[in-house]
Amino acid sequence: MTFDKQIKRRDLLKTSAMLGIAGAAGSVAPSLLKAEPAKPKEIIVRAWGGPWVEALKAGVSDPFTTKTGIKVRHDLTEDNEIQPKVWAAVAQKRTPPIHINWDTTTNATKSALRGVCEDLSDLPNLKGTTDLAKPVGVDGYPIVNTYGYVYVLAYRPSAFPSGPPASYHDLLDPKFKGRLAFYNDGIGFHFPAQVAGGGKLDGIPNNMQPCWDFVSKIKTQEPLLGEDPDFVTWFQNGEIDAACTISTNALGAKRNGVDIAWTIPKEGAKFDTDGLWIPKGHSEGDLYWSREYINHALSKESQQIWLDGLGLPGVIPGLRPPPGLAGDPSYPTKPADFDRLIRISGKIQVENESEWFSKFKAIMQG
Amino acid sequence: MRRNLSCYPLTWHLMDILEAAFSKIWPKKGGFWGPYLMLSPAILLVGLLVLGLAYIGDTSLRTLDTSTFLFSEEWSLANYERALTEPFIRSVIWRSILGATIVTMTTLLLAFPYTYIMVRTRSAFLRKFLLIALFLPFFIGQVVRAYGWLIILGKQGIVNDILGLIGIEPLRMLFNYPSVLFGLVQYMFPFAVLMLAPALTAIPEEIEAAAESLGASWQETMLYVILPMAKSGLIGAGLVVLTLSLTDFAMPAILGGGTQDFVANAIYDQFFRTSDQGFGSSLAVLLIAIGSLLVWIIFMLVGAGTLALGAKDK
Amino acid sequence: MNQPVAQKLFFWILIVISIITLSAPTLVVLGASLTSGNIIVFPPDGLSLKWYKALVEKQELQDAFIRSIWVAIICVLISLPAGTLAGIALVKYRLRKGALIQTYLLLPFTIPLIGSGIGLMLVFGEVGILGSLWPVGVATAVINLPFMIWAVSSSATGLDPDLELAAQSCGAGPVQTFFYVTLPSVMPGIITGSLLMFILSLNEFLVSLLLVDARIVTLPVQVYNSIRSIITPDLAAVSVVFIAVAMLAIAILDKIVGLEIFLKSK
Repeated sequence: MTFDKQIKRRDLLKTSAMLGIAGAAGSVAPSLLKAEPAKPKEIIVRAWGGPWVEALKAGVSDPFTTKTGIKVRHDLTEDNEIQPKVWAAVAQKRTPPIHINWDTTTNATKSALRGVCEDLSDLPNLKGTTDLAKPVGVDGYPIVNTYGYVYVLAYRPSAFPSGPPASYHDLLDPKFKGRLAFYNDGIGFHFPAQVAGGGKLDGIPNNMQPCWDFVSKIKTQEPLLGEDPDFVTWFQNGEIDAACTISTNALGAKRNGVDIAWTIPKEGAKFDTDGLWIPKGHSEGDLYWSREYINHALSKESQQIWLDGLGLPGVIPGLRPPPGLAGDPSYPTKPADFDRLIRISGKIQVENESEWFSKFKAIMQG
Repeated sequence: MRRNLSCYPLTWHLMDILEAAFSKIWPKKGGFWGPYLMLSPAILLVGLLVLGLAYIGDTSLRTLDTSTFLFSEEWSLANYERALTEPFIRSVIWRSILGATIVTMTTLLLAFPYTYIMVRTRSAFLRKFLLIALFLPFFIGQVVRAYGWLIILGKQGIVNDILGLIGIEPLRMLFNYPSVLFGLVQYMFPFAVLMLAPALTAIPEEIEAAAESLGASWQETMLYVILPMAKSGLIGAGLVVLTLSLTDFAMPAILGGGTQDFVANAIYDQFFRTSDQGFGSSLAVLLIAIGSLLVWIIFMLVGAGTLALGAKDK
Repeated sequence: MNQPVAQKLFFWILIVISIITLSAPTLVVLGASLTSGNIIVFPPDGLSLKWYKALVEKQELQDAFIRSIWVAIICVLISLPAGTLAGIALVKYRLRKGALIQTYLLLPFTIPLIGSGIGLMLVFGEVGILGSLWPVGVATAVINLPFMIWAVSSSATGLDPDLELAAQSCGAGPVQTFFYVTLPSVMPGIITGSLLMFILSLNEFLVSLLLVDARIVTLPVQVYNSIRSIITPDLAAVSVVFIAVAMLAIAILDKIVGLEIFLKSK
């Protein structure tokens, strides 16, 4: 199966990457003898579990450990749930529970606005990154974006015999009642819904009524609302026919043998990024090596292996897409690929999130 | 009389020392403060929660500035206003109170026969079997149990398979209000049985025999003799189930499909998703107030029963 | 027995339904853990022990398990004295403001776990004890304390004040009376309460989530975190191991004191 081939290819890449890094480290060894801050025993990186953390280990954490000797421990707490812990730690002037947060850019923007992120503007590898690495709406680089993803319309081909749904309006067909799924805060759906409701994208955030009108229409279909693991489970158990979810979930289900495909309907799809950031409050040595970790994550070899596992486009130019994803709408690389993708600034999203959230829930549960 | 003190056992010496120390702390004549001294460790422990509550109460009075994600310096009641007027929150609060009440009554109804048989049966094997069946689910934890139900009741699950055998189309049995209530009942069931058991054990079997010999049918015996005597157990069980289901988070989240939020889910959303800890705190305070009020009313009306946090008032 | 058929039938139907409802998830989890596929299905997709083998390799799960046991032990050690004293006091003495105290002591139940978690996180954070495991034990003791108090006080309602008076008239001081007369009478309640506290603390995940960090993560938190990302059969395997350990503990308890202790008030 493709999955097995993936593993062998990844192993090959991993080995060659490690050889490459070992070689580079060897040649750089003399300069490493310059005074460098004390190495911590281990670095704690928050990551999502399952295939996410496995990809990170293969692409970034294990090579980092080989290069520097510092062990990497992964904290699998959800990004949402670690946020109050980190904020409380910084507010109470304690050492934060993690060194590095692999976070959604929107969440990270909140932390950045609050002022709990270390500045990362002077990381050497930033020079080799595309514009995608720069977070929109905040000054400098409190976060570094590391890849992007698309909120696609995933669907079961057997439920759509005449081909992929061309528009979200297709989902209003009564036969899909109770067979649709969205994120429980509506994320990823607001922006295409705005278009589907007859509105314009520049009406975001000030005139979102078209969005809410369309959401009310979708509500009559009694969709299921959940989070990432729920979508995978629901597709696997045959509970749903279509969902607005990030492409990685669909890819994961597909790799597990579920018959699933995805498309970008004519209303477009939301495009967003994830990134890495360091909470304030760490000792000088810990901070130095945490920055080294992020720097390492921005290198081409790391990005290649890490993102192969996730099937997502990175921030270093010239990465090779995983097999089967070249030209896929969920893997935009050329400017033309971005035509139908909607990207809204982190700051606007963060400012309005609470309101969008309550409105979505009120419509869905009211 | 032995003259040599070392001939006395060690425990006696130990006890003498403890008695001497104790008489220094314990007020003379036991008296007024004695029992409060005994209660003090528990009060202190719960005091930790109260301290935490103080923080939450403080946060609840601050509003969020979404451009800096910091909280306002001044206090205001804006969060509470929003909590009490926003229609979504009101429906969530109502849903939680209604759900907790239904769950409590259903659980008590189902737990009573189970406990009765468990206590009355002559077969030790059956009693052990029922006890073990009660305890095992505890060890899987709420979340995994809920996922187990997702598999059983799902569209491709066993129940639908069985229904399919008799020609019924797969039903959607999950992700609605009844499934959340069902999940809560099956989770609270062991707690209710545990609270009822001591009360039912304390009812002597002869009473039932006496009632029967006086001409009562088994339904009448149940209703007029056993139930009133088991009142303390029912109240204790009811209180526990009521408070735990009012504040439950996992069942509505997993079995509700995102559309059956209880107050605890709303609090979770505010703390963790929208990072509006002020609003989340105000919801928490409201929930605690509602719960405590319900509990206090019940205590005043009927006493605490086998939650027997109360003196014997038989 | 001298019970009419209708009553027996009625009760028995209810009981069978209850047992099925209680045990069904356990069976499903057991079955799902034996699957040879990669996703959770029941009935399982072919039988295989591979997920259990995977557990043996996962050092972090084993570490987390040991930590959970440790937390549960601390929980019992703390709640035992506090709960026992409170339980006895509430029953023996008629207290002024009894209803108020009882409502106060029920706070761990009326406060949603998220509220308790955040509150305790802030309190422990201020004091600077986050990062060790014992505060988690304290936290689980606090949030489940009413169970301990209940267990002891329902035993204590059977306390015979005459016994204590008899002891004192034989010359026993208050401490001696407590240890040699009162405590043994409430021992069933103490054992019930301790077991309950142990089990609840072992399985606690919500408050622990907020109080642990990656170095001291406990098993329920680890399982919960994994479920939030992707649900794989190894989580089912972990649950089965848990249950196996539980069965062992219950068997031991039965040998020592007999399970019927949960039914007794004295």
